[in-house]
Amino acid sequence: MSGTIEGRFYPASAAHHLPALASAEANRTLRIAAEDGTVLAEVPARAIKATARLARLTRRLDLPGGARFETDDNDGADTLLRGLRRWRRGRFTDRLERAWPVVGLSLILSLAVAYYVLAQAVPVASEWLAQKILPNVAHAITEQALMELDRTAFTTSALNPADRAKAEARFRRVAAKARHGASGYRLVFRKADKLGPNAFALPDGTIVMTDSLWTSIKDDAEIDGVFAHEMSHVDHAHQLQRVLQAALVPATIAVFTGDMMQVTQMSAILPGLILQSAYSRRFETQADDDAATLLRGLGEKPSHMADLLERLDKKDCGKTSCPPGWTGDHPGTAFRAARLRLEDKGPIAPEDCLKPWQYGLSLHCLSVD
Amino acid sequence: MTDSAEAPEGAPAIHNVEFRGRGGEYFRIWIVNLALSLLTLGLYTAWAKVRTQRYFYGNTYVAGHSFEYHASPWRILLGRAIAIALFAGYSLSVIVLPATFALWLLILGAALPWLANSSIRFNARNTSWRNVRFNFAGTYFEAFIAYVVWTLVAFVLPFVPYARRVQDYFYVNHHRFGGRPFTTAFSAGRIYAIYLLGFIVIVGLLLGFIAVAGATVEIATHMHNILGQFSIPIGPNDFGAIVIALFALGALFVSNFVTTQVTNLSIGHTVLDGGFRLASRASGLRVAYIVTTNALLTVLTLGIFYPFGRVRLARYRMSKFALIAEGDLDGFTSEALETQSAIGEEIAGFFDFGFGL
Repeated sequence: MSGTIEGRFYPASAAHHLPALASAEANRTLRIAAEDGTVLAEVPARAIKATARLARLTRRLDLPGGARFETDDNDGADTLLRGLRRWRRGRFTDRLERAWPVVGLSLILSLAVAYYVLAQAVPVASEWLAQKILPNVAHAITEQALMELDRTAFTTSALNPADRAKAEARFRRVAAKARHGASGYRLVFRKADKLGPNAFALPDGTIVMTDSLWTSIKDDAEIDGVFAHEMSHVDHAHQLQRVLQAALVPATIAVFTGDMMQVTQMSAILPGLILQSAYSRRFETQADDDAATLLRGLGEKPSHMADLLERLDKKDCGKTSCPPGWTGDHPGTAFRAARLRLEDKGPIAPEDCLKPWQYGLSLHCLSVD
Repeated sequence: MTDSAEAPEGAPAIHNVEFRGRGGEYFRIWIVNLALSLLTLGLYTAWAKVRTQRYFYGNTYVAGHSFEYHASPWRILLGRAIAIALFAGYSLSVIVLPATFALWLLILGAALPWLANSSIRFNARNTSWRNVRFNFAGTYFEAFIAYVVWTLVAFVLPFVPYARRVQDYFYVNHHRFGGRPFTTAFSAGRIYAIYLLGFIVIVGLLLGFIAVAGATVEIATHMHNILGQFSIPIGPNDFGAIVIALFALGALFVSNFVTTQVTNLSIGHTVLDGGFRLASRASGLRVAYIVTTNALLTVLTLGIFYPFGRVRLARYRMSKFALIAEGDLDGFTSEALETQSAIGEEIAGFFDFGFGL
């Protein structure tokens, strides 16, 4: 007679219960007896339905007809079920959950997969998806964005026609060397006092330049780097990638925590912001690298662009320069300028410099090559 | 265990809800669930869901008895497979023919009430206490009014609290326990007062956070200029990120404060036919504090705190619910069990999209 276990017996359709003992008898029969030995039920093992083992939860055996036996003795219940030659449901999973090495391995696996997904898969997936977005969709998004910006941040450009013609000519010269060719990009002039000296790319190849950027340049060649940099953003569909990443990061985190509830939403926002800026710095570095390559192709020096960046930075933050940010969406200017100066001699290997934890924090990776 | 608090004749017995789960225990369940889900490319998530639900229900006790969750993982898996297939169909058709988007929007609007009803019913029917099952009996039309019409009306902000009350009424008043209906009713004025307070606090928080973030960036930049090479890694670029992060935290705090107070209202005024009332007395501030600190700790520990936080919240949240019994609990349960076996078990459905309070 293997394993007599203590528990509670609930007769069918009744709320009251009484203390009882369950045991596995011959011929695969389960016997439930009261404490004084009175047999309350005797049923064949085949007719029993047992709940799966889970932590310290009460184990429940449903008997035919609606009666049930409950016990808090989970080991006893497993022994009983084995005596009845029934499947001890949940026993294997429960053992996994109790074994610290399994828990440790699970933790390592989960962290590794999470890191891989966020650091590798999300950028690759969003780049792939961004390239799949149809040109007419990209164009519609651009029109919408430009209209919104015109309403809120922009006024008509006040540049004189001669300056415009000069900028246009340089733009076309740079575009001819870029991926989509001279007809692939469009230069748009706007006055935007709030944004300061700035240029940015929109998904369909439109590149907006603010008046104050043009007036900040000392040497016309400095602007070529800016154009090339923005064209690289267009080529890699960086803006669309940002939108996709903004959706993919919270989705990934929701999958990992296993629920879509508030804590998840919140936990998704903070790392989402940090990751977004990390992805964004990667875009900027990529655009700088592409710009440098293009400038060398035109026989110009990437360091021109470094001069412009540093000048703008000083204007922004006072005497020295802006401190390198760690959540900001551009890498520190010192870092970018140093990279661009190195590019004068030829392309530099990006791998060592693209570790997220190094962004804006150190320049030592530059001395590696 | 026969520990239902015996009260003196006439006075109602108060049965406090108690959550007996432990953080360390749930952590191990959670991380193994996660690893198995990854190793099976997501298939195990259905089993993971059932194990998680069983853990939380099974550790929630009222009057000495725990709740039980009975859903079959296979049904959940089926529901998810159908949802994924539909989503794939939607994505494909929208890529091929963008105009179909409007059609899908219509289909979603038409299917939403049905989805809401089947999700709530699925959860209710798979939940039991003392072997008595819950049930949900909302009709398509009522769900349409509550979740489609009122959701649209609530785009006009002053209607948000009223819409919330309509949805809570729909959710609570169609729940059944062993055939007996739950009923809740409370004045619109009280729910408006909660939302108004929440609105004022969030506007105040927004202004405060902008000031703090601005000052931080200002100070960091000055320090940098004064000390030259020494730099605190906060630049003007970070201003936006700091404001958004702080505001998100503030929004989380306020939204939890509001939902807790609203739950106190709707559950606190709920009556179960047969002489039973529910009580809900969680402090909105306390819940908001727990949720906000949970979120911060989850981020700081790369997610490891998540299961501990969930248990911490459940422990507080559950301890503030109570069942107030004026009638005889044992007699009530027996009767409910008899009615239930007369109706017969009819477990249907497989969608679980988390509609609720």
